[in-house]
Amino acid sequence: MSQSSLKNRSPFSPLDRAEVAELMESRFGIPPAAFEDVSFYRKGRNVWAFSLPEIPDLRCESVGLRFLSVRGRVPKPTTYALQLFGNLATKNTVDLSADEAEKFIAGDRQRLEAEVEDGYVVVSYRGEVLGCGLYVRGELASQLPKERRIMNEGAKTCSSDGDVE
Amino acid sequence: MEGLERYRDIVPDFELFVESMARPLPVTARINTLKTDRNRLLSRLTESKVSFRPFSWYDLGLELDVEKPGNLIENLMGHIHVQEEISMVSPIVLDPKPKERVLDMCAAPGSKTTQIASMMENRGLLVANDPANTRVASLRSNCERAGAINVVVTRYDGRRFPSTKFDRVLVDAPCTGQGMARKDITVLDRWSLKRSLGLQRLQRALLKRATDLVKPGGVIVYSTCTFAPEENEAVVSWVAERVPQVSLEKVSVEGLESSPGLTEWDGSRFGDEMEKCARYYPHKNDAGGFFVAKLIKE
Repeated sequence: MSQSSLKNRSPFSPLDRAEVAELMESRFGIPPAAFEDVSFYRKGRNVWAFSLPEIPDLRCESVGLRFLSVRGRVPKPTTYALQLFGNLATKNTVDLSADEAEKFIAGDRQRLEAEVEDGYVVVSYRGEVLGCGLYVRGELASQLPKERRIMNEGAKTCSSDGDVE
Repeated sequence: MEGLERYRDIVPDFELFVESMARPLPVTARINTLKTDRNRLLSRLTESKVSFRPFSWYDLGLELDVEKPGNLIENLMGHIHVQEEISMVSPIVLDPKPKERVLDMCAAPGSKTTQIASMMENRGLLVANDPANTRVASLRSNCERAGAINVVVTRYDGRRFPSTKFDRVLVDAPCTGQGMARKDITVLDRWSLKRSLGLQRLQRALLKRATDLVKPGGVIVYSTCTFAPEENEAVVSWVAERVPQVSLEKVSVEGLESSPGLTEWDGSRFGDEMEKCARYYPHKNDAGGFFVAKLIKE
């Protein structure tokens, strides 16, 4: 084995697709077929979704997108994973009103009645996925990455969208 | 605007060209087909009472009548990517296909990368390379928001990118950025011949390396957002001379007005082949300025 291939040995280790797909099916009802062309890898406390079954022989900073964080007790889907696959979810989904969406995209918590189990939920607005939320005892906490949150102007866009006027 | 005077003899309608520099660029975005489609997105914008005007030449491009497009909810969801109109040209000329292996050699902040990823329908492999640590964060973040799962991010010096074979390589090279003056007028004052010639060495080495990395039959697109021939034709002709396996192919994007590449400049002959390159001037398309060359390897 050449030195360079040793050097490039990937820190991303392959995961069983079925295992990850099962997780998404049991929590959100997303059919495993949705992930047929996706390969999963783990690096540190993140699971990544990537298009190819093999990682190229390069020093990769990232492969595909961060799909799950396995830091906590329960794996947490990333907002980006849910924006891509969450439209296929059949349970543990919350569709927000304009006012609620405004709070959610600002990164806030809010009281909310929803027919979901406690835990991570797919949060959508007007039928399109906004991202990941954490629903616990009647309260929804936005899990949007901080750099994606929109205050003020964004909120205006959101509330002037015809839903409320 | 002194730096522009040198282009008096090569830019058509030179006075209009200079005048156009003072006008701010329209706010433009690209529809991200990895997460939505054109009809869905357009009806969402209409429902949200956001005014827009689709480009005449590219059905995924839009001019938006908003001050801060970054604050649109559609941006948060990754359904649109805020991107300057003329920069959408390089991926279109590159014409990547699903399942191919593609390298974006100078990728940050990732506008063209995410456009390529969507053209590849999230399949195959797209290597998004950028050596600058500070720029890689925005590159990664833009790829994630776009929902690109076929992108790996690397941080090599492009001139020494490891030997790997690609079907297509985009070299959207670092440049003096004169074509972006409508976004930031100070680029004109910062221009000097010395800076252009300094960048030229880097640009030549990047493009030269790209010719090693592309498979026989593969495509290389070289683009910059500057008018300086030192960074454009002088780079492409230098590489074409030294790498006999590459030949130029005519660049033409229907609906956009371009001028042919220069065959000579300031006493240097570049050759007639250079007419196949395209120069895009801000006053001709009401967009930024750009240069694009397409090379095919035998």
